[in-house]
Amino acid sequence: MLSFQRSFSVCPFPILPLQLPSPMETHLWFVVPDEFKSVSLLNQYMELLSPCEKENVLSMRGEQLQKQALLARTLVRTTIARYQINNRVVDPRSLKFKRNVHGKPELEWESDGGQCPSPLHFNISHTSSLIACGVTVNSSIGIDIEEKQRKIKNNILAFARRYFSLHEVEHLSAISDSEVQRQEFVKLWTLKEAYVKALGRGFSAAPFKTFTICIKNGFRRGFDHADDLESGAPEVVVESSDHPERLTNNWQFGLFELVSSHYAAVCMEKDKTSDAGMSVPIRLTVRKTIPFVEDECISGTDAVVPIAGLIEQF
Amino acid sequence: MAASTNSLISMQSRPGMAASRICSLKPVSVSNQGRSFLSFGFRSMPARSLRVSCAAKPETVEKVCEIVKKQLALAEGTPVNGESKFTTLGADSLDTVEIVMGLEEAFGISVEEESAQSIATVQDAADLIEKLVEKKD
Repeated sequence: MLSFQRSFSVCPFPILPLQLPSPMETHLWFVVPDEFKSVSLLNQYMELLSPCEKENVLSMRGEQLQKQALLARTLVRTTIARYQINNRVVDPRSLKFKRNVHGKPELEWESDGGQCPSPLHFNISHTSSLIACGVTVNSSIGIDIEEKQRKIKNNILAFARRYFSLHEVEHLSAISDSEVQRQEFVKLWTLKEAYVKALGRGFSAAPFKTFTICIKNGFRRGFDHADDLESGAPEVVVESSDHPERLTNNWQFGLFELVSSHYAAVCMEKDKTSDAGMSVPIRLTVRKTIPFVEDECISGTDAVVPIAGLIEQF
Repeated sequence: MAASTNSLISMQSRPGMAASRICSLKPVSVSNQGRSFLSFGFRSMPARSLRVSCAAKPETVEKVCEIVKKQLALAEGTPVNGESKFTTLGADSLDTVEIVMGLEEAFGISVEEESAQSIATVQDAADLIEKLVEKKD
């Protein structure tokens, strides 16, 4: 039972409209399915969905999966609706979505006859215990969330040899503690998934074997050459194994622990206006939400612990 | 209705098949020894593309179901059959990749990323497996 006694004659509009994220800023919103027990609230969420989304939710096998699917769509719609665009308040029900030519879900943006792509980009990721939605402006974004405790059914090295790049296999093979190895595997998986999702071209366009993600320890590039060796957060770098000349330094990563239970990876395009090669931190704001009921900003608390990549929390 | 002679259609026109397939009765256009029984407006089609009439063996489908159930740790009695979609069973991307790896090991095949991406249901997986197994032999 929800502990809130508020009446649910809910106005579908967010009370505090938000400013859009600025360049290099990611807003991450998430829900924890276990916190949603009120049937009447879930029914209200159902009313926000398109007929197609409703059908999809109902096609899921079992109540838990249906609830997760419902919360995922609710999270996407209510999150995007929070952002005032051109000073218009948006009704979450009115949002339309489409898929890009490769199948990546995008916001259909009604402006100039629908020719203009939406400035607002989003990406979601779910686990059974947490569903997250990342939002950026004018930058492609990919996110992936995994439970820290996630157990791989296959042997980790066999899996890595089959799907990961050579360097990544070497990195994992060098870890003698099996639990540490499993954790590193999960972190690497989330980073690779986030990258492929940010690219938005589908799994087969960037098979996991064709690129390497490397977490390089501790130096930060500064403006001044002298700052180069200043120790800071481990840097996350992606390199294309198949096409070494392919541009990969326009992507920036952040990896962090979320509410002590999950690893979260964010991948976004670097701000095109900043100098190439300059690493500007990802400005991250993380909020937990129960749409229409409560929002809680948790960035800057111990609920968000950066692991790698340049992250500044707001 | 192109019901053919009876409900047993032997797909001898497919090369490389060790035994003839037994397919269930369905209204299809059958190209057999050059004669076509047209039920729809189109010309005779090569037997290979008649997916409907040439489903994977039940044992293959069953084996795929077992691997899926194991990977997703589904509750006893959760119905899983050819039509089951991986996503509606709760598989995320890591589950799907693990399932594909399990199938590769169980059947001794190798699945390309492009093909893996097109697998949505248990039936899709079983059909792909049989195609790959056939290529191997």
